[in-house]
Amino acid sequence: MNVHLYALSTCPYCRMTKRYLEEHDVSFELTEVDQLEGDERQQAVDDVKRLSGGTSFPVLVADEQVVVGFNKTRIGEILGF
Amino acid sequence: MTERGVRRVFEPGTTIDDLKAYMGPFAERLGYKFNTETDFVDEVLSSEIEILERDGDVYCPCRIRTGDPKEDLKIVCPCIPFYRDHFAAISKCWCGLFILKDVEDGAELIGVLDDPAPGTPVEVPVVRLRELPDGAIRHVKIGKNDVAVARTGDEVFALSNVCRHAFGPLAEGFVDGYFAVCPWHGWRYDLRDGTTDHPNADVRTYEVRIRNGLVYVIVPFAG
Repeated sequence: MNVHLYALSTCPYCRMTKRYLEEHDVSFELTEVDQLEGDERQQAVDDVKRLSGGTSFPVLVADEQVVVGFNKTRIGEILGF
Repeated sequence: MTERGVRRVFEPGTTIDDLKAYMGPFAERLGYKFNTETDFVDEVLSSEIEILERDGDVYCPCRIRTGDPKEDLKIVCPCIPFYRDHFAAISKCWCGLFILKDVEDGAELIGVLDDPAPGTPVEVPVVRLRELPDGAIRHVKIGKNDVAVARTGDEVFALSNVCRHAFGPLAEGFVDGYFAVCPWHGWRYDLRDGTTDHPNADVRTYEVRIRNGLVYVIVPFAG
């Protein structure tokens, strides 16, 4: 499964989500949106808006499914923990 | 807090304690307090200081600036006034830095909580009773609702802030007994049921509860 985590370097829930994925040995692609600049940043913000309907983090995308926030139950369901 | 209100000045070298001193009373007036999980509070505030130094203000650590100034203002901490109904429904602000005053243990509010179903009544704290003296009327924005909260004697009422005649702001008028009087052309609305003497021009009213010195307005959750 292709897992992509959009996060902010400043966000406690993003840190918790990263830790949670690591604890479960999930390999994931990480985009720290606030660390990007210019077009790259705008593209990432647009992606997050399109995927989640907002600008809140973290946004976890696993194949077609999207989880906003550190929602352990939903993440577990999707990733089969 | 000073006698003239809240002092909001972020000098270089702003500390977690500075933010607590500014935000604590701000949140209290809105019916919130810092999360009881003090390590979590310090973690969030330390992120906010990082953001303050980088971006020039204490933006929410869990959301991103879009570059639209109007939108970005809505994520300056504490952002409670912009999301009163949503946050009241989940008992905390988006990141959980602030929780409703009557929540005893904030630990369980860290993380994501499911929103209630649209239409579920939500008790939204809007003002401290002592800041609403007899005869006062104040405008409060609750989600998309423009609400006027008015006190007459010991009773508090809430009704639409928008006069049906020419859209005058009722909260800029005055309270006369059980009536809110529009400042523009003197239209009068009964605080108890929103009726006016013109046919078919009543305004919406909201249920009000008073608890622990706070005025709550009940609104259906918009989703």
